[in-house]
Amino acid sequence: MRTYLEFAIKKFQNKMTYRFDFFMEIVNTIITIVVYLCIYKALYGGTKDIDGITYQMVATNFVISMGLSNAFKFNEMFLQDKIHDGTITNEFLKPVNFTFRMLWENIGEGAFKIVFNFIPALIFTIFYTSFCPPKSIINFLVMLVSISLGYLILWLISFIVQTWSFWLFSVWGIITIKNVFVNILSGSLLPIWFMPDLLRKIISFTPFESIYFTPVRIYLGELSGRDILSGMAIQILWIAVLAIVANVFWKKGVKKLVVQGG
Amino acid sequence: MEPIIEVKNIKKYYKVAKREKGLGATIKNLFHRKYEIKKAVNDISFSIKKGEIVGFIGPNGAGKSTTIKMLSGILYPDEGGIKINGYIPYKQRKQYVKHIGVVFGQKSQLNWDLPLIESFELMKYIYKIPEKVYEENLNKFTQLLDMKDFINQPVRQLSLGQRMRGDIVAALLHSPQIVFFDEPTIGLDVVAKEKIRDFIKYMNETEQTTIIFTTHDMQDIEKVCDRLIIIDTGKKIYDGSIVEIKNKYANSKTIEIWLEDGKKEVKTFDVNQTPMNEVMEELFSKYHIKDISICEPEIDGIVRDIYEKRVSLEPVVAGMGE
Ligand SMILES: Nc1ncnc2c1ncn2[C@@H]1O[C@H](COP(=O)(O)OP(=O)(O)OP(=O)(O)O)[C@@H](O)[C@H]1O
Ligand SMILES: [Mg+2]
Repeated sequence: MRTYLEFAIKKFQNKMTYRFDFFMEIVNTIITIVVYLCIYKALYGGTKDIDGITYQMVATNFVISMGLSNAFKFNEMFLQDKIHDGTITNEFLKPVNFTFRMLWENIGEGAFKIVFNFIPALIFTIFYTSFCPPKSIINFLVMLVSISLGYLILWLISFIVQTWSFWLFSVWGIITIKNVFVNILSGSLLPIWFMPDLLRKIISFTPFESIYFTPVRIYLGELSGRDILSGMAIQILWIAVLAIVANVFWKKGVKKLVVQGG
Repeated sequence: MEPIIEVKNIKKYYKVAKREKGLGATIKNLFHRKYEIKKAVNDISFSIKKGEIVGFIGPNGAGKSTTIKMLSGILYPDEGGIKINGYIPYKQRKQYVKHIGVVFGQKSQLNWDLPLIESFELMKYIYKIPEKVYEENLNKFTQLLDMKDFINQPVRQLSLGQRMRGDIVAALLHSPQIVFFDEPTIGLDVVAKEKIRDFIKYMNETEQTTIIFTTHDMQDIEKVCDRLIIIDTGKKIYDGSIVEIKNKYANSKTIEIWLEDGKKEVKTFDVNQTPMNEVMEELFSKYHIKDISICEPEIDGIVRDIYEKRVSLEPVVAGMGE
């Protein structure tokens, strides 16, 4: 555990050296959030709520889901690059689990971006527009746990697609398509509240809803008591399912590498 | 003494997709891929005792790197068995790799973005090296390899020779008992090569580290190794000491003579065809000689002759060299 935490810390420190990059990323996050808020402000145009959803709720959803989706970005070509240049085999020479190493390095990067990208962008947007406060301190704390679970879901989906580079020459296209799906279906472009009933029903059977929408609803108090528990249970279920799938692909890929030599 | 490395009849065949030219063939290939079998390692056996330094040479594509990969546990042999330090590398990889160090000269294991020192620090956590051992090794190694000047530089800014030294240190910080080097001197200047050779020898002498290393530089072999294994097209063709190979296969000797008038003459001849007596008689009758020296046979030349099949080696017995 200490070892893996160290990977995260090293990544965090490493990111600190690229200051200009992270300044640009803050600006990027702020601009995207502000543009979307403007659009929705215009759409609301003074009406208090649409189907019970207020502008403040939408703004809150955006800041959390879009702000975090910027912070949770990492290099998804990592595995493919390592497979292409052959350095992947180096990783098997170390007595550590390479998958966990990848995860923790990405977590380190995510933590860095939350501190130096998400939080500054959040502070800026607080001055720009008004949000809903968390329903309660408890809701806020539970949301933090739920966001961590959401991150794992996001990461596992990415990892599964990345493992396909053991067989495919390039997964870049698939990753791009995957990200379009994730952005739309997780509600970070169009809030899930406004989606047609049928689509909403379908999304509820996918892991995408569990990424940002569950934490947002916990924060707002849309879910309470038992619903919070079942929401998080669904998150954990998805993590388990995705982890099993990821493990199957990973094991098969590694086997291909050590048996066929690439 | 029990061998620490035991390799028995290992084989590795690669399946290479066959590509034919032309659109028709390309489309046909989509549905029915044709494969070619490449026998990279074809029945190799040897055993190595604790504390030996073994040079592993052979022409390009002979199967050296493939063998090193199997010894390191990152490639399964198709047939045969490997036992190293009580482990079967490809089956007990996680446990096994704690005891070995591997350097691939062609592929760095260092983190491109991190300063060298931080890559080393990660090794401390990866291998759970006790603080004291870590500090000791780090100080010793960086001093021996003269790395003070660039240890705080990010790896991507290092020169090849600096990076290689970094890679070597990273692979040895956990005091492995067995180290595999695959071309650790590739592309380095004479001074850097010398440093690395001295370092490898030092590790072997002070820590009794068992070392296998591949190279194309015969100076490496001559200066560092006691024993030589030569492979060609996946088969072992020589396994024995360096002295022995020189005595047995160095057919041509070179004599340098300095004449009274200050000129220098060089004569090369084949000992098997013209006896030394005759050569000397001829030289003495022809020249007024001031000084004479008979040069040691160059291992370079011998190996060239072997690769180009100008000399035929005696068949090696599997597992020989004890
Ligand atoms: N992953 C692979 N897939 C298919 N063939 C391979 C693969 N790796 C190596 N080979 C083939 O196996 C043979 C042995 O390669 P190997 O890399 O072991 O040679 P080597 O002795 O290390 O050569 P060099 O001195 O050039 O490094 C070569 O013919 C090579 O083309
Ligand atoms: Mg090689």
